[in-house]
Amino acid sequence: MGLGSFHFDPYSPAIDADPFPAYKRLRDEFPCFWSEEAQMWILSRYADIVTAGQDWQTYSSASGNLMTELPGRAGATLGSSDPPKHDRLRGLIQHAFMKRNLLALEEPIRTVARDVFAQLRGVGEFDFKDVSSQFTVKVLMAALGLPMGEDALVPEHEVRENAVLMVQSDARTRAKGPEHIAAYNWMQDYASKVIAMRRAEPQNDLISHFALAEIDGDRLDEREVLLTTTTLIMAGVESLGGFMMMMAYNLATFDEARRAVVANPSLLPDAIEESLRFNTSAQRFRRRLMKDVTLHGQTMKEGDFVCLAYGSGNRDERQYPNPDAYDITRKPRGHLGFGGGVHACLGTAIARLAVKIAFEEFHQVVPDYRRVADQLPWMPSSTFRSPLVLQLRVQ
Amino acid sequence: MAHITYVEANGQSTTIDLADGWSLMQGATTSGIEGIIGECGGSCACATCHCYVDDFLAGVLPPPSQGELDMLENVVAERRPNSRLACQIRASAALDGGVITLPECQE
Repeated sequence: MGLGSFHFDPYSPAIDADPFPAYKRLRDEFPCFWSEEAQMWILSRYADIVTAGQDWQTYSSASGNLMTELPGRAGATLGSSDPPKHDRLRGLIQHAFMKRNLLALEEPIRTVARDVFAQLRGVGEFDFKDVSSQFTVKVLMAALGLPMGEDALVPEHEVRENAVLMVQSDARTRAKGPEHIAAYNWMQDYASKVIAMRRAEPQNDLISHFALAEIDGDRLDEREVLLTTTTLIMAGVESLGGFMMMMAYNLATFDEARRAVVANPSLLPDAIEESLRFNTSAQRFRRRLMKDVTLHGQTMKEGDFVCLAYGSGNRDERQYPNPDAYDITRKPRGHLGFGGGVHACLGTAIARLAVKIAFEEFHQVVPDYRRVADQLPWMPSSTFRSPLVLQLRVQ
Repeated sequence: MAHITYVEANGQSTTIDLADGWSLMQGATTSGIEGIIGECGGSCACATCHCYVDDFLAGVLPPPSQGELDMLENVVAERRPNSRLACQIRASAALDGGVITLPECQE
């Protein structure tokens, strides 16, 4: 093949831990690369990813968007459908996630953050995941209108654990293992109970509206309601949780940035944007070609799967000078931390709001901290990247 | 490829070459044009890439979709008959020479 010994295996623990050296070789030497291990093409340059993300007629999501797709999911969710179906699903949900419609959530989110981070008073060392996961699940439940408190159907930690497990994959088999499928089934079962509950007694919340929605007189089909709700819970809990971990990882690692945002919390939004660029949790999604495409001298065939490596595009020196520096003054407009184009993340506004509030309140209790370990255990996932544990020491 | 000119509210004018398929929002955010934010990433969900298109573009562009019309109700600056969302306009040779003017504020 003439490619020497270069491989790119998104299932390998080494890529979970640090994909960035491999990304650089992909961008510089193999910008349109066939990964034998993943059985798909890898696009790694910023401009190529933007172009593909825009061109949904060629780069289709209808065969699934997760690198390792869950059974029966493709075609029924926002992320795994193309316009016009995508647009009608999105139209039902989108208004709830617009910035101006989230204002009512700001105070409840702040109350959750204060309560959760108050547990750290007087503590010398802790796993950030223990607090961030409590925060994430409560915020998501409030945002979607999942039953909480006395109405709760299951303990909050079970929602979080299953959301995290269902996005993982097995490094050896390069597929979902039985535990990942079980988590996915658990989440579908939970979503179906919530949907039934809200249909019986509708509330003024997102899931009630969605479960009862009609478009042009047609109800959504049950599979769309169930799998879209399942995905909203998964994406909300896992992506927000993963991103909280990455933000804490960056601030615990880069002393100057941490001190700057603690001294001046109005810099947090810039630090959040730079974290989304520098090491977003959503590293890779996939598309499927609807026609042959020739790029950088390679011809990708209709029907082939293509990985859009957002995490690599965000480190592309062709777009961002000195890309491997975490620089909170950068203001990295156009980053791919939330993807881009028609499938750009639905939750951008609530994610930005929740993470900002969380770190404002976290820093009130713990203004200075550092990582305990150099090497971290990373989540085994071909799509997302975040540490499973982030032990921090208060300074 | 299309040459598109962006005129910011302060009068500063920038012309860029935009690859086919890229949105006018992406052209602005990747070229350092400040007057467009594009907070939602291009999914027509935030109304922070509001622009006013010139008569030439108004004549060649397809009309806005229902989703774009809905979102145009959320723009912060004055909405005019030639208001569009830059994330919904995809570059092609047909738009070559087009000029868009950016409002004073986006949020």
